[in-house]
Amino acid sequence: MKRLSIPAGLAVLVAALVMVFFLNSYYVYVLANVALIAIVGVGLNVLLGLTGQISFGHVGFYAIGAYTVAILTSQAGWSFWPAWLAGALVATVAGLILALPALRVKGPYLAMVTIAFSFIVQHAIIEMEALTGGQNGIMGIAAPTLSADWSIEQTVAVLALLTLAVSLVAYTLLARGTWGAAMRAVKDSETAAESVGLGPLVIKTVAFMVSAGLAGLAGGLFAPLAGFVTPDTFSFMQSILFVLVVVVGGAGSVIGPVIGAAILGMLPELLATLEAYRLLFFGGLLLVVLLVAPNGLIGLGADLLARLRPGAGAPRSRALAGDAGHSLSERARQGLRLDGLSMTFGGVRAVSDLTMEVPAAAVTSLIGPNGAGKTTVLNMVSGFYPPTAGHFALGERTLGAGRAFRIARHGVARTYQTSQLFDTLSVADNVALAACRGRLGNLLGARRYLSKAARQRAAGLLAFCGYQGPLDVPASQLPHVDRRLVEIARALATDPDALLLDEPAAGLSREDTDRLAALLRAIADAGVAVMVVEHDMELVMRVSDQVVVLDTGRLLAAGKPEQVRADPAVRRAYLGEDLDEARPVAERPPRTGPEWLGVNKLVAGYGAEPVLHGISLKVRQGEMVALLGANGAGKSTLMRALAGLHPVQAGGVHLDGQALEKMPAEAIVRQGLVLVPEGRQVFAELSVQDNIRLGAFLCPADREARLEEMFERFPRLRERRHQRAGLLSGGEQQMLAVARGLMSRPRVLLLDEPSLGLAPKIIDELFAALDQLRRENMTIVLVDQMAALALSLADRAYVIEGGRVMAEGTAREIAASPELADAYLGASTPAAG
Amino acid sequence: MLRISRVLVAAALTALLAVLPWRAAVAAEPVKIGLITALSGQSALAGQAISRGVQLAIDEINAAGGVLGGRELVLVRRDDESNPAKGVVAARELIHKEKVAVLFGGLDTPVALAIVPLANQAKMPFMDPWAAGTPITKNGADPNFAFRVSAMDELVDVAMVEYAQKTFGSEKFGLLMINNPWGESNHKGLVAALDAKGMKPAGSEKFDGDAIDVVPQLTRLRDAGADTIALVGNVGPSAQVVKSLRRMGWDVPIVSHWGPAGGRFTELAGPGAEKVHFVQTYSFFGDQSEVGEKVIAALKDKYDDIKGPQDITPAVGVANAYDAMHLTALAIENAGSTDGDAIREGYYEIGTYPGLIKTYQSPFSKEQHDALGPQDYVWAQFIDNRIVPVGLSD
Amino acid sequence: MDTQLVSALISGLGMGSMYGLMALGFYITFAVSGTVNFAQGSSMMLGAVLCYTFAQTLGWPIELAVPAALVLCAVYGLLVERLAVRPFVRRGSDAWLMSTVALGIVLDNVVMHTFGKEPRSLPSSLAVSPVEVGGLGLGVYPLQLIIPLVGLALAAALHLVARRTRWGSALLATSQNRDAARLMGIPIGRAVAGAFALSTVLAGVAGMMIAPLANVNSDMGTLFGLKAFSVAILGGITSAWGVMIAGLLFGVAESVITMTLGSGYTHIITFALVIVALALRPNGLFGRAEVKKV
Repeated sequence: MKRLSIPAGLAVLVAALVMVFFLNSYYVYVLANVALIAIVGVGLNVLLGLTGQISFGHVGFYAIGAYTVAILTSQAGWSFWPAWLAGALVATVAGLILALPALRVKGPYLAMVTIAFSFIVQHAIIEMEALTGGQNGIMGIAAPTLSADWSIEQTVAVLALLTLAVSLVAYTLLARGTWGAAMRAVKDSETAAESVGLGPLVIKTVAFMVSAGLAGLAGGLFAPLAGFVTPDTFSFMQSILFVLVVVVGGAGSVIGPVIGAAILGMLPELLATLEAYRLLFFGGLLLVVLLVAPNGLIGLGADLLARLRPGAGAPRSRALAGDAGHSLSERARQGLRLDGLSMTFGGVRAVSDLTMEVPAAAVTSLIGPNGAGKTTVLNMVSGFYPPTAGHFALGERTLGAGRAFRIARHGVARTYQTSQLFDTLSVADNVALAACRGRLGNLLGARRYLSKAARQRAAGLLAFCGYQGPLDVPASQLPHVDRRLVEIARALATDPDALLLDEPAAGLSREDTDRLAALLRAIADAGVAVMVVEHDMELVMRVSDQVVVLDTGRLLAAGKPEQVRADPAVRRAYLGEDLDEARPVAERPPRTGPEWLGVNKLVAGYGAEPVLHGISLKVRQGEMVALLGANGAGKSTLMRALAGLHPVQAGGVHLDGQALEKMPAEAIVRQGLVLVPEGRQVFAELSVQDNIRLGAFLCPADREARLEEMFERFPRLRERRHQRAGLLSGGEQQMLAVARGLMSRPRVLLLDEPSLGLAPKIIDELFAALDQLRRENMTIVLVDQMAALALSLADRAYVIEGGRVMAEGTAREIAASPELADAYLGASTPAAG
Repeated sequence: MLRISRVLVAAALTALLAVLPWRAAVAAEPVKIGLITALSGQSALAGQAISRGVQLAIDEINAAGGVLGGRELVLVRRDDESNPAKGVVAARELIHKEKVAVLFGGLDTPVALAIVPLANQAKMPFMDPWAAGTPITKNGADPNFAFRVSAMDELVDVAMVEYAQKTFGSEKFGLLMINNPWGESNHKGLVAALDAKGMKPAGSEKFDGDAIDVVPQLTRLRDAGADTIALVGNVGPSAQVVKSLRRMGWDVPIVSHWGPAGGRFTELAGPGAEKVHFVQTYSFFGDQSEVGEKVIAALKDKYDDIKGPQDITPAVGVANAYDAMHLTALAIENAGSTDGDAIREGYYEIGTYPGLIKTYQSPFSKEQHDALGPQDYVWAQFIDNRIVPVGLSD
Repeated sequence: MDTQLVSALISGLGMGSMYGLMALGFYITFAVSGTVNFAQGSSMMLGAVLCYTFAQTLGWPIELAVPAALVLCAVYGLLVERLAVRPFVRRGSDAWLMSTVALGIVLDNVVMHTFGKEPRSLPSSLAVSPVEVGGLGLGVYPLQLIIPLVGLALAAALHLVARRTRWGSALLATSQNRDAARLMGIPIGRAVAGAFALSTVLAGVAGMMIAPLANVNSDMGTLFGLKAFSVAILGGITSAWGVMIAGLLFGVAESVITMTLGSGYTHIITFALVIVALALRPNGLFGRAEVKKV
């Protein structure tokens, strides 16, 4: 980019400057206007492109800049130059003032606040007649002089072009530097930004101020160019035009706003001869341009530009072999102490009175059944939830009251259940930015972030965490395992005292989990206080120095792994009754019905990397088939792909001879393939019976009679038929989801993780209902993490690992097969036994 | 999909380029007359009226052999969207790129005010057939290139006060001004006119162009003891004032600027519309002069939507623009060229010209850039769908 | 009670219920699809212009003109969704915000060139002779009393339709959980298109109701639509009743401010109140804050 675009940019600038002196005054005026719109566009791009905030109020800042210059030069007798500066400053301050309320809100709410701002500015100008000349505005604005022979248009055009060039350079520096990375980080994930010490509010406010200042700077030049200012000039439509400049050009690219400004500044002039039809054509052409390039013309020409701009400044050199000593310094660190922490959500106590230690240089695991409050504890300790009572401390320093980013700066780092990376930043950028620990340096600087030392440290940390992929790809393109590793490296980059990890092993294969175990140990050995929330008991037992068990928000037990494992209270509460023994896998006669559902070499995934690598299944009519495999094996993706919620890349699905793979979800339901999705997905605001009725959307005949049937089948639901579904317990919601699915008159019922997060007693009840369905000869495909339970019901089963079928057979065969133990039970056997 | 869209865009752009009138130079180079006015938005109708007045005059002049020994007049129009910034860009385009000989324009006072300095600087004669803001012609420049064939706010305001005193014996004026530059300019004018008579307004209120309910403002005026309402507003908002008065059951005389003439006031305001007396420079109703008959006939002939005088709205736009164009053609003839300064001098040399509004006698001089004065104002009211000079309806 | 205040309340409630009705239109499409027609004011104008054209220009009876206009409004709503929303949503672009504005510009100008540049008045016997209210010496057009009733009745009817009909609850379901709605066999594409049609019809109703009181022309809806958007946001765009109540509050605030301070300050104060309200309640007055998921 540096090699090509700087000379190209200079050439364009020089050409434009030359044109100023050879074109007639009208074209010079149009050129100056385009440059002014482009300056506002560059400023807006800081908001829209980098920070992901929208503003329909920039005409307000533009007006403030213009009016400040007009008032100071015409009434206070200032010369242009100080007035211009003052205009930009006033606009910047206005940006700060607007940012205070504006940044508390998001999306359409933010759009509204900024629209309101522009109206207030316009009407305040009208009402402050003594100062602003009211409706009739101000004439006689002092113009700048650069050379005595230049006309006003030429002078302003030259100034506008130079200002545009400077602001483009500044934008480029900002975008590649530390602040720019922080802005993009905030755009990608405010939560993750906070957990590496970035204060989103400050960063967004700065973006707002920069953006407002540039609009003010442009407005200050507009006043002498036009020679007058009136309130009508700064209408709401102009604000929309400013946003369009960025959208049409391409948000987030350096020259996008310039291209947008050129088009939107010249188009009306080209259409001028259409007289009364100008606006009509303008609207129409705008629509066409947006349709052709919904992400901007730059996005459209991305192929071409990709060759001109290699990855944003990240060095391509591969990491040196992992050297923990260089990346994660071995030093004495502070441990965490939690003291009487409690958290209440709407009357429900999620965590009550938890007191525990997380000592330095050790791994502490926090375990407990789903809903025990483990993640809530992490959220409190990392500052996202203010505790209802109690406090916590890092060493001697009490942290209880701080915001998340402050706590992160004090040395508490964390990762998330679903990895939250800054998706538009590269792998190395993710880590290097975190290493700044919230100290960003000067606005256009990049030393802390792009320097060789920073990059080497980032590469070292990534290697330390076992990441072996390229450093300069956007994080969004990483496969699941690598996302975990990069997230841990990013957390370590803040050089934390304490590291909190939320289910780091979820979705990892056995080998990956082994490497994770070694990594956790190494981190603790470097002195860090590690706290892990984890379901994988084998991992927990292997790496922990201390295990803390939570049950319904209360501390149940704490101690060494062996002690906890032997604790009868823990076994009862956490593991429940031994399900494997309660339900032996029965030998059933093979089903002889016709082949009903067939899946042939199905490929599906996210982005370029498929999750499913050619899965083939056969399900006979009336058969119950279980799909087994570890978290992240691709089972849920398969279910979603079958149901039409996830696009199928290759392969086929057919039901009773009918091909389904190209159909939208609603057509697949009509064919009788019905998914009861993971996580229940009930309509929380609707009543229980309305939820069930919706299941009959496609076949409303005798709906009410079937509703009664469902209440027969699930008597618990009848009691709660008028309640809002969102108020039901997890088990009741699951029954509701099954009932809703049955209302669609399924020919094949897909059940995705029905037992997830349910208490053992409820699981019993649920599986009894499923057993009933099986006996009624319903064709069922069941995915469940409780393999033994699933096998006790199923006729046949498939084992899936890494998006491939590893084994298939009767339930009894699979229960005895080594593949199953490897892929799945490897995780739970030690815990159960 | 993308490919098809791109083809569509290319087709659309090509079609557009074909539509744009890229005129080649012709043998006897025509004289271009520029017109900048609102062709879209709220003032579009007035913009259309001005366009028609100018075009009608141009047709007549061209039929009679054009100007400067056979050169045709050509009208080049631009839409200013009532926005001064757009008006100025258009003015620059017409002056520097289209190289018009005379610039007509300024429907809205702020647009005209923004264009005037540019016109003076570029030595471009600027003819204003509508905007009534006083400083448009009294702009302090020497030489001054701005001329007007229209009413002037300052004078209209004096006339409003005098008419109300004479007709209704008004003593306490309640001012009700639309919240836009036009309203603001007249507010100043009316206060000054009252001040000259040693009076003060009983009350002064603003209302918005999209207001549906003007009762609050009117109630305050009534409570302040106003016995007459001086109204300045476009046709739509003026109609809302009449509707609100009807709700209040307040029967009060209204003298108004020419806003109500800008549309179908009776249809918009309903019963009570006739109570508003407003100023006009010309009415196409009643007995017409020879020129008047000719213009009405030509308008009916040229524009399908004009069936009679009631369709010529706003009448002042057509009438002012028509006379202004004829006067301008005379000035060009007097100048003997399209040089701006010569045309400016040419305006001063116009002698007697029998126009539509009146017979002009040396309408312009160095000191007088307004061709019309208070003696030319006509007071009118709406009777059904006709604008009738006050008194004729009896 | 003070005559002026009664008058301000009546016209405030009237305008407010129309803001509310249009804002409900924003709410419906936002709930179902996460998008809105940013140029909803043009839809309102279309309703009024079509009603005028059918009833006055073509002389149809009003019982025919109103439904015909509303049907065409619905068709326009479908057009907006198909042309200016769906292509962008499908590609994950936010440019629908801009494209709906562009389509609005096109519609406004097409109407200006076909319907005419002159403001017209839709005559209604309900807006000619004022009736006296409670002996306060103040007349009110019957229509002004009817408008809020119609507004609230429509809102209530919508509520019933959403709860009681198959497609109504399908829309509700879609707004709560798109994926789950698809698993019920609800065709999301048609639900979204339907939401846009319904939203445009509501705006059209507002336009027709206002028309006899205001004037009919091509840009009558611009500012109105923007105010309705602020009402939708103020109410919390995720709450139907909140949106309606915010409409009434906004309308009353507007007319009370005009009454006490004069119209010059109306916009300044109402919009400042919007900002303050959102700063205090970032999800709108009645919107429910989403629980922050970490």
